[in-house]
Amino acid sequence: MDNIKDTTIEVIQSVLPITIVITILQFTLIWLPTETFLQFLIGVVLVGFGLILFLLGVNIGLLPVGEMIGSALSKTKSIWLIVIFGFLLGVVVTIAEPDVRVLSTQVDQVSNGGIPKSVLILAVALGVGLFVALSMIRIVFSIPITYILAGGYGIIFLLAAFTPTTFVPLSFDSGGVTTGPLTVPFIMALGVGTASVLKGKSASQDGFGLVALASIGPIISVLILGVIYG
Amino acid sequence: MNLHIFIGFQQMMGEVAIALLPLVGLFLFFQFFFLKLSYRKLIDIAVGFILTFLGLSFFLQGVHIGFLPIGQMIGVDLGSIEFVWLLIPIGFILGFFAAYAEPAVQVLIHQVEKASGGYIPQKVLLYTVSIGVGISVALSMIRILLGISLWYFILPGYIIALIMVKYSSKAFASIAFDSGGVATGPMTATFILAMFVGIASVTEGRDPLLDGFGMVALVALAPILSVLTLGILYSRKEKEQYAQETKAKAHRHDR
Repeated sequence: MDNIKDTTIEVIQSVLPITIVITILQFTLIWLPTETFLQFLIGVVLVGFGLILFLLGVNIGLLPVGEMIGSALSKTKSIWLIVIFGFLLGVVVTIAEPDVRVLSTQVDQVSNGGIPKSVLILAVALGVGLFVALSMIRIVFSIPITYILAGGYGIIFLLAAFTPTTFVPLSFDSGGVTTGPLTVPFIMALGVGTASVLKGKSASQDGFGLVALASIGPIISVLILGVIYG
Repeated sequence: MNLHIFIGFQQMMGEVAIALLPLVGLFLFFQFFFLKLSYRKLIDIAVGFILTFLGLSFFLQGVHIGFLPIGQMIGVDLGSIEFVWLLIPIGFILGFFAAYAEPAVQVLIHQVEKASGGYIPQKVLLYTVSIGVGISVALSMIRILLGISLWYFILPGYIIALIMVKYSSKAFASIAFDSGGVATGPMTATFILAMFVGIASVTEGRDPLLDGFGMVALVALAPILSVLTLGILYSRKEKEQYAQETKAKAHRHDR
């Protein structure tokens, strides 16, 4: 019960401020037709209600699953199993990530179908998967995170030279939206689980940095998508 | 009144089902080969998946019938007001309040307070991140109005971040890079982004695809730089403390 209350408060807190600012703008600057403004408010209610259910579902079902899979994988002690399933989990979770869906819907619409929704979602998902796998390798071999961060951004700047300019903002935004309400807790759970079983002592240190790496992946994969399209 | 609430909801539920299917499949695979959970736990997880399914359907429905179309409309209206420079403070206010109330930011603040042993008060970080996000959204407005490439913001941003990591305390550095997502909450990536696309579409000489997007990326930079700044302050304090201690020791040796 507490869980439901907390989640509800949390969602209201994150939805309300912008709704208030928009309401103030509506009656000072914008003056949309009442009908249209009501449509916006209905959207707010649906989004809020949906988010509450979604977060509850993630807490009850998806997070425990993430933790259990993380620790089951680590117990196999097989590096290759961990890396392969890290990749698959990254892909599968990103496909279900709400923010990624919304971004790709908008891109599909703005580009008039030039960059189809499904293609963008798939590219982002592959990027996340690849970098989750890489993070697992990093944890196993204790590679310093700065190496991968610097290398990742190096590749990004290199790729950006070959990709059409329209793909640059798009790719960075894709990196931003992957850190959504599903991916972050799920990947954190997986990483901390893996790190604690494999390494023991420095578990929390190694578990960190996963999210940062996971958001580099989609930037690279969307830039590559741009190279292919261009 | 001509309100659309559940238009296309069935189709949306179909889409969400397809989106969740791979995750369910992967879970079932693990259940059969590794986890072998009891019947009771399986029911819990099934309830979780059903809630996720319904929640995601309602969320996306709200985005489709409300946030995207109306966000763009509001953007179009804002983009054609007489005093376009007003958009810059409006952007700042939107960003500031979005971050200020965001639960994920609160979680980050807790983490940082723990890592600094209370040296960085919660309020300081909250204001630093909120002002940072406000500036990010305001800068994105300036980007649209003047048509500046995202590179001029992203490149220095990340270079500064990578340099700051060298001087920041270790614990802060790892928290910083993970905190990029905390401010890109469910409103930023949906509603504010739609607004930006709307503004870019009515501003002369701007391409919505090129100038409308990129805001999320800038918003993601704000908490990283905020946490690193506080991390540098904190590592200075650590060094001072260390210097004092060694001085005290040396003093004792003298005697």
